[in-house]
Parts: sequence; C-alpha cells; structure tokens
Amino acid sequence: MTRVLLVEDDAWLAEVEASIITDAGYEVQIAPHAPAAIELVDSFKPEIIVLDVLLAGSTAFALLNELQSYSDTGMVPVVLCTNIADQFDAKKLKEYGVMRVVDKTTMYPEDLIAAIRSVE
Amino acid sequence: MTPLVAAAHELKAPLALVRQLALRLGDDKLTTAERQRLLHQTVLTTERALRLTSDLTKAARLDSAMFQLEPINPDQLCRDVVSELQPLFAAYGRSVAVKGRRHPLLLVANRDLLRRILLGFSDNALHYSQPGTAVHLQIQAFKKSGVVRVGVRDFGPALSSDMWRTLQKKLETAPQTIHARPESSGLGLYIASQFADAMNGRIGAVRHKDGATFYVELQASNQLSFL
Repeated sequence: MTRVLLVEDDAWLAEVEASIITDAGYEVQIAPHAPAAIELVDSFKPEIIVLDVLLAGSTAFALLNELQSYSDTGMVPVVLCTNIADQFDAKKLKEYGVMRVVDKTTMYPEDLIAAIRSVE
Repeated sequence: MTPLVAAAHELKAPLALVRQLALRLGDDKLTTAERQRLLHQTVLTTERALRLTSDLTKAARLDSAMFQLEPINPDQLCRDVVSELQPLFAAYGRSVAVKGRRHPLLLVANRDLLRRILLGFSDNALHYSQPGTAVHLQIQAFKKSGVVRVGVRDFGPALSSDMWRTLQKKLETAPQTIHARPESSGLGLYIASQFADAMNGRIGAVRHKDGATFYVELQASNQLSFL
C-alpha cells in the first residue's frame, strides 16, 4: 500500500482528505504542521506528500526546502493542495519537488486522487 | 493587502471547508453518527465565517456609530466568551478556560466590542493550539498605569523570530493589515485593533516558546472604589 503523508493544519479538512485518500486504497498519516511532518518523513517514510501551503508556525516552503536538502526526501513527489493555487507558477514549483497543484476551493474528491495517482 | 482582499482571503478557508464537508456528506457509506458529525462541523464552520462577516460590518461602521463605554467586569465577560466558544473548542478536541483573578479590576469598555475582540483572539488561538491543549483567557491588572490587560494564550507552534519581528513592527503601526502568523492575512488583528482603538485601548502580543498570547489593554475603571 502506497504511503501518503498529508500535511494539513485544519483538523476537519485533514480528516475529510484523509478519508478520501484512504478510501482510494492508500495508507495515510496526518501532520498538522511542518515539524510534525519532518518527524513523519523519518518514521513513516512517505512515498507521496500532499501538502497545504499556509500552515501554522511556518509555510510549506520551509518544509519543501528542508525536504529538498536531503537526497532521499528530495525525491518524494509533492502534491500541493491549497486555497491559493492561483498564486503559483506550477513550473517554478517543480524545483521544490512539487509535481501537481490542486485548488482546494474547487477540487472534488476524485481530483485529489487523480493528482496523487499521477505522481505515483 | 487591502482589507477587502484580506476579507476574501479569510473567508476562503471556511467556505472551502464547508464545501468539502458537504461533498463528504454525499458519501453513501457514511454512518448516521458520521453524517451528524459532519453536519455539526458544517454548522460550526459556518458560524465562524459569519462571525467574521459580522465583525467586518461592525468595523466598517465604527466611525459613524456611537459606542457606549461602561465599567465591565472582565472576568464575567471572559466567562461568557468561554461559554459561547466551548462547543466549537470541544468539537476540535480542545478546551477553553478563564485563568486569573476572580475579582479583577473593572475596565472601561464597550461590552460588544470587547466580546468581539476576545472571540476573534480565541478563534485564532483555536487554530494554532495543539489538539488536547487548553486555550486560556487571562486577566492582568497594571495598577500603576491604570490598565487592565485581557489576553488569550494558546499553546502551539512557536512564532519564528522573523515572524515575531514582522508582527511587532505591524503592531506598532496599527491600524494596518497585520500579518500575525504565516497563513493569516492579519484581518482578525486589524479588526481587533480598530475595536480597541474605538475604546481608547490597544492590542499587543507576547511570544512564548510554546505558543503566543494576544491581548487587549484597556483603561481600568475608577468605580472599583465603590465596590
């Protein structure tokens, strides 16, 4: 079962997204903020990371920089799942390991799963 | 960021959440209990968003409105705010409580505006506190300066030094849009600073290694001597 790390600071949204991903046959763990995500990267060893941008404590980019600074974690594909998708250039985000961007304000459950499947 | 853009930004998150909760409700496999929980979350999220729209309306009318300032017992007001917020905090697996003196100095404020400030700070604290922790409403009197401070303390990720410097700078130049924390547009603090200003008070923040306190300072009431 493919391991997906979901980094989302809204507990209720995290529950909904985790249910969607679990129902699609993935193993999911939730990190509510960047420090918890770093810990889970080491212990859970995710194969895909679904990442919210605006997190409590620090932004997703601090986490992405941390991930990119190690050869193993830098290879983990990231799906950015955000309310501010319109503010990003998908091409520039590839430098951070971001393979797909999903707009939380318009996404349907199948959009999230399609994005995850596309980076497997 | 203009207040209008900030308002749109702040409303995006609860609206997106309500939409996702509604989409989830369409799942046939949900149990009755799961369905009721999602409905409860939808109602509470909508109420949070409505509070923001109500605060925005109030802030926009501050100049033209008259606000009665009166001696207020901050302990009683804090307890009212806690009662109002308890269902929301419980639904998020957190608690909220009043800490401090049972008989503090009275302060001079408008009850509705002060309540809105504390609801806003508490809402912010809910978002940043860790599951299982309590958010504390705290009252502190500074007798020499004749000021009473009412603060909301959360226990969550510490603000980075960079974010703290930015926050301090913005607090000094309030009222302006204040970037309180990374994902915040600062609209909540902007509204709180407007409300505090209307009551001749000011807002501020204290950084802790395990969270933060956002507070409002208001003049102590001289009526204490009659109590």
